[in-house]
Amino acid sequence: MTLEIQNLHVRIEEREILHGVDLTVKKGETHALMGPNGSGKSTLANTLMGNPNYEVTEGRILLDGEDLTEADPDERARAGLFMAFQYPATIPGVSVANFLRMAVNARREEPIKVKEFGEILGKNMELLKIDRAFTSRYLNEGFSGGEKKRAEILQLAMLAPEFAVLDETDSGLDIDALRIVSDGVNALREQERGFLIITHYTRILGYVRPEFVHIMIDGRIVREGGPELADELEDKGYEWVREEVAASAS
Amino acid sequence: MPPSFVEDRRKAALKVYEEAEVPTWRRSGFWTTTLRNLDLDALEPRRYDDLDDVDSRIVQEHLGDEEHAALIVQRGASVVHTDVSDDRVIVMPLEQAVEEHPDLVEEWFAKRLPHDEGKFPAGNAAFWTGGVFVHVPDNVRIEKPIQAVWLIDEPGTVQWAHTLVVVGEHAEVKIREYFLAPGFEGQALHAGAFELYARPGAQVDLAHYQDWGTGEVHDLSVRRVEIARDARVKWVPIHLGGRLTKQTLDIITAEPGSDMRHTGMYFTERDEHLDLFTTDRHEAGHTTGDTVWKGALTGDSRASYEGLIHIVPGASETDTYLQTHQMLLSPKAKGDAIPSLIVETDNVKASHGGTVGELDQDQIFYMMTRGVPRAEAVRVLVEGYFEEVVQRLEDPGLEDLVRRRIADKLKGAEDQVREFIGERAEAA
Repeated sequence: MTLEIQNLHVRIEEREILHGVDLTVKKGETHALMGPNGSGKSTLANTLMGNPNYEVTEGRILLDGEDLTEADPDERARAGLFMAFQYPATIPGVSVANFLRMAVNARREEPIKVKEFGEILGKNMELLKIDRAFTSRYLNEGFSGGEKKRAEILQLAMLAPEFAVLDETDSGLDIDALRIVSDGVNALREQERGFLIITHYTRILGYVRPEFVHIMIDGRIVREGGPELADELEDKGYEWVREEVAASAS
Repeated sequence: MPPSFVEDRRKAALKVYEEAEVPTWRRSGFWTTTLRNLDLDALEPRRYDDLDDVDSRIVQEHLGDEEHAALIVQRGASVVHTDVSDDRVIVMPLEQAVEEHPDLVEEWFAKRLPHDEGKFPAGNAAFWTGGVFVHVPDNVRIEKPIQAVWLIDEPGTVQWAHTLVVVGEHAEVKIREYFLAPGFEGQALHAGAFELYARPGAQVDLAHYQDWGTGEVHDLSVRRVEIARDARVKWVPIHLGGRLTKQTLDIITAEPGSDMRHTGMYFTERDEHLDLFTTDRHEAGHTTGDTVWKGALTGDSRASYEGLIHIVPGASETDTYLQTHQMLLSPKAKGDAIPSLIVETDNVKASHGGTVGELDQDQIFYMMTRGVPRAEAVRVLVEGYFEEVVQRLEDPGLEDLVRRRIADKLKGAEDQVREFIGERAEAA
């Protein structure tokens, strides 16, 4: 299975943010998409999930050859796509446990058995070092930044999607929380699952080592390589990439 | 011959009623509540001896099998059922209480219900029949609820309702009033007066459940709750149906240490019109209040909620807040939610806030990315929005009833909500 992004142009309101992005993630691969603030990383993530605020003007999104460019967000989710949000919405009146059960059931024909759900939930909460009391709280209501991120990764673990996009999951986490979240992500890395980790910083890539690194600047992917590219970026910063791009263009 | 405190009030009120015009309530902006579509002269009080099968079914559907300390049912103008299983309390028709317990009734009757504050309160004072009287003696704790049901089951009916509840010192009680009608063709009017006095140290758990169904039932009511020293009243008014509702709901912390917890909700649909004005009145210092009102609108409905905190001179050290939220679920629905504050003394903590809005597109998108279809996301979000109010009922039977009705209403409005949410998403 493959997630293919082909020549994607995306507009928000009247402004084009992405100017033709190509990116392919195969199952079993972990890719990092890096870039400075405002480069279009979150736009790409939101467009992949079908956020109605973003308009695709050209290009396609294919999941295993199936064109999802115009699909509703829930269809994409059921097809196997997942995004961990940078700023997840608060869902008042719906407990974490009820929300998870609803999301799990949305992808199944028959509702999951209570016992089976409880077992999987317990296992994943242990993995992410989440307290049991957490599940009865309303989703994201009054959560700290770290709790929100953990709740996102808990959803990832519960839904076990084919492809997961992590949008700045590392930002705002202290080192302990980053380690827990990274351990959680690593535990979910396997042959059957692809990851696209979107980040501004190289920090998380020390814990979740990607096979491929893409650098996005001003709505275009300008550099691609292996993990060593992230290391180089760590040393030299985004200005270096910008200058390189400018030099090669002239 | 009824005692003079009732008869004198009836006479004085009749004069006011006959002289007063049918009111129209206007406020700045788009809001007007008018009775021009109500044919008042065509309505009459109807007397009955018992409940028919339809009535019994409606009562059963709403009250379920929960055991009660007492149940009293008024159909039209007549109390047709009274059943008291806890002999520590007095629960009987108010007309009967006036005869049998005149001293007890006279002490409280209409203490907070002047007969001259408008045409319909005057009409109520002049014409009330049947009625409900509840008296819980000092230091008595009643676990099971005391239930009163107001039924209108025929068009052309006017129901002049009066409920008087006195909860003695350090007594504890749950009071439930239900306002119910089958869906009939034609007009009816419920013009109600409710008064409750929580004596020092009393603990009262009060809920009003109104669902007048799909008929043209108009509800013009005044409800007042007075809380004495160190007493506490939790009041949850719930409005789930009625062609036109114009109500004044006042909760008064009258003495130091009294506490109100006031949580209401409404969900209007079709061409319903709801106009609520609530006042949290603090008449003494060291009193506390906590008010939350939430509403949702579908169809062509109109809903206005205005919530006032009024802190009178001398009521210092009052600590209170009010918040109100309203959610529009249809392009044709219109509403507003207005919190306001009158503070006439220093050294108080009082705050208020309000929102009027639509369903949050970010929330819908978020849920959809988890595989939840749009219609279900909307349902879950609206149910979640009301959940704060529903849980404050702390009454599993009533909570289930309210949740079921919210789900029904959303199901009935699914197409228009989908269209509306879709339009909004596209506009964004």
